[in-house]
Amino acid sequence: MNQPLAGYAPAPVTARMENHGDHMLKVALQTGNDLFARVGSMVAYEGFVQYEPNPPAVRQIAKDWMTGEGAPLMKCSGDGLLYLADYGADVVVIQLDGDGISVNATNLLAFDAQLTWGVERVKGLAKFAGQGLWNTKISGQGWVALTSRGKPIVVDCGGGEDETYVDPDALVAWSPNLKVKGKRSFKAGSLIGRGSGEAYQMAFSGQGIVVVQPSEDSTDRLRVRG
Amino acid sequence: MAREFQRGHKARISDLTAGTDLYVGVQISGPGLTFDISCFGLDADERLSDDRYFIFYNQPKSPEESIQLLGAQAGDTESFRVTLERIPPQIQKLSFTATLDGAGQMSQIGPGYLRIVAGGEEVARYPFDGSEFSTERAVMLGDFYLKDVWRFAAVGQGFDGGLDALLKNFGGEVAEEETPEPAQPAADPGTGAVPGFAPPAPAPQPPAFGVPAAPPAPPAPAPRPAAQGFAPPPAPTPPPAPAPVPHGQPVQQQPYPQAPDQTAPLPPGYGRPQVPHPAPAPQSPPPGHGGQAPYGAPQGAVPPQTIPQGAPQPAGVGAALQKFRETPTGQRWTQQNDKLVRVDLGLGDQPVLARQGSMVLYQGKVDFSYKGAGFAGRIVGNATGQEMQLMRCTGKGQVFFADSSTMLHPIELQGDAVCVSAENVLAFDESLQYEVRRIEGHGIPGGALFTMQFQGTGTLVLKTHGTPVVLPVTPTTFADCNAVVAWSAAAQVIVSSQVRMRRNSYPGDTGESVNLQFRGAPGNFIVVQPYEI
Repeated sequence: MNQPLAGYAPAPVTARMENHGDHMLKVALQTGNDLFARVGSMVAYEGFVQYEPNPPAVRQIAKDWMTGEGAPLMKCSGDGLLYLADYGADVVVIQLDGDGISVNATNLLAFDAQLTWGVERVKGLAKFAGQGLWNTKISGQGWVALTSRGKPIVVDCGGGEDETYVDPDALVAWSPNLKVKGKRSFKAGSLIGRGSGEAYQMAFSGQGIVVVQPSEDSTDRLRVRG
Repeated sequence: MAREFQRGHKARISDLTAGTDLYVGVQISGPGLTFDISCFGLDADERLSDDRYFIFYNQPKSPEESIQLLGAQAGDTESFRVTLERIPPQIQKLSFTATLDGAGQMSQIGPGYLRIVAGGEEVARYPFDGSEFSTERAVMLGDFYLKDVWRFAAVGQGFDGGLDALLKNFGGEVAEEETPEPAQPAADPGTGAVPGFAPPAPAPQPPAFGVPAAPPAPPAPAPRPAAQGFAPPPAPTPPPAPAPVPHGQPVQQQPYPQAPDQTAPLPPGYGRPQVPHPAPAPQSPPPGHGGQAPYGAPQGAVPPQTIPQGAPQPAGVGAALQKFRETPTGQRWTQQNDKLVRVDLGLGDQPVLARQGSMVLYQGKVDFSYKGAGFAGRIVGNATGQEMQLMRCTGKGQVFFADSSTMLHPIELQGDAVCVSAENVLAFDESLQYEVRRIEGHGIPGGALFTMQFQGTGTLVLKTHGTPVVLPVTPTTFADCNAVVAWSAAAQVIVSSQVRMRRNSYPGDTGESVNLQFRGAPGNFIVVQPYEI
């Protein structure tokens, strides 16, 4: 009976974070090496894993981010294998090697607790977007997992002459050293971006990369659906 | 992906892998137990007629080296290399066995397995654990046997006696051959088994043929030079601890098989500790976790050179995202991945019309403006539902289009025409002409179906939910009008509606009532998506 399903057994662990298929993340947890993950992203685990929603450290760092709905992150500790997913979104695993990345809060799935991180509101944009865009800046030595609705694409910012403009709903992550500013197309009848009337993009300039998903679906499903 | 075997399962090896140079790994362990794992090369009568084909710790290879004992590695308690085509014809069967050395019984073993690895990839695995056995002291784990072709059988049969009984069962003559009493307890540590019999073992060649993930040895001061560099009394298992290893029992009890060889990925456990020196876990593992107790995930804050070898890419954001980088261009339309296209407006020098909001990113000086359908277009659009909310992209630069992670398909039209339903259009060159076409038929709600027909020279980007199917138009090609995305305009469309009054009169019945039938010369096609709008 299980012959056709046998192909989906987990592969041997070779790293702390790995993809299981395109849409699932497998984390090898270990005592003393905790993990922050989005609340509600756990789909399965094996071993002895404990979850602490809204740990004090998160409350402090992300106090602005949380808006009465509880902490968006939980701390996972223990020994075992943890499987995370976000409603079928593609998972991208990044191993930071002393560098950093800024991630759209909606697209953050999990990261090592020992990484340096902070939450800030994307500057220059809050006044355009209704709810604002939260940005988690992560750096250090360790692992980060992002989600993307559909296979993402990585674009090099040209390095000066031309800015790169991104639909904020499709933005996943970017290099933290890029300069960000909001851009609004004021021209009457200009209808770009989602919906009508509100037309804005984010302009990136400098040397670095921008990661974009092929979808303008930026709803935070983990939060919306609990 | 490895095929999972259960006791009694058999399969042709050629069905598992095309390779004939195989790695056979056995992982078996239990608290306080030590094992001898050996391979018997048997003739057609299942007898060990040639004792040179009894491959064990004192005879680590057969004369022509078709069967070699490799020692513990990659998480396996013992491993063999079997080169099927070099096995001489009188050998018809290879039986892999594990026997207890010292006290104990097979019911005490923890979860273990026998696996076959070809070309670095595990192709078969037969897991077992102590619950399948009782007081046996030996177990025949699996066989390779020749029946027209080489096959593998997961045996898992216990055997009451020890290795000597097993030898007798196979017709080996223990006493006469002065085979070292293999089942002897480890009473003579250090001296090894009876000397003189063991062939002077030149180190077999390293397992570069496909041992799972044989990575370059790390620069760490690992306590093993190489698994193969053994001296005549072979001690295939490097000591997991500085304690001296009794040579008479090569298969050391290994509660932490991941400790000594920290380079290869450990299949059953959960990673391995990265510290280069073995000593990860405290002593007694729980019995149920004999081989996998420490969830040895990579340690936090480790120096990067001890990153597990299974992660091939170098660290860093750029490296991790390398596979998602934009593909180089050169053409006006470039498909970046199956859900993103890029248009270079500078090439071709004409504007692009795209669905509003489908831009996800652009570089350069690009102007987006509203593209109205015009007065007539609006009326037509309202009446037919074939209405597109478009924007015109002009300027110089690159624009990336995507929409709700649907799959995108650029179609290059060269004077020909294609019919698309309006909601499946993502973007197109402004040089294309389009108009609304009407498909008449009886039984269609609203009296007719409408579609957009594009013609001219240029590129049109379609979007589909899911992977579409492209069917050639034959005399009997039908499609659901809600799932069909596009068809070549030369095909003639006929509505074939199955009107069944009884069924349709029930509320909620949404049966397949309206189908489109296509007719056309060979070369026409239709595109259908797995999603009914």
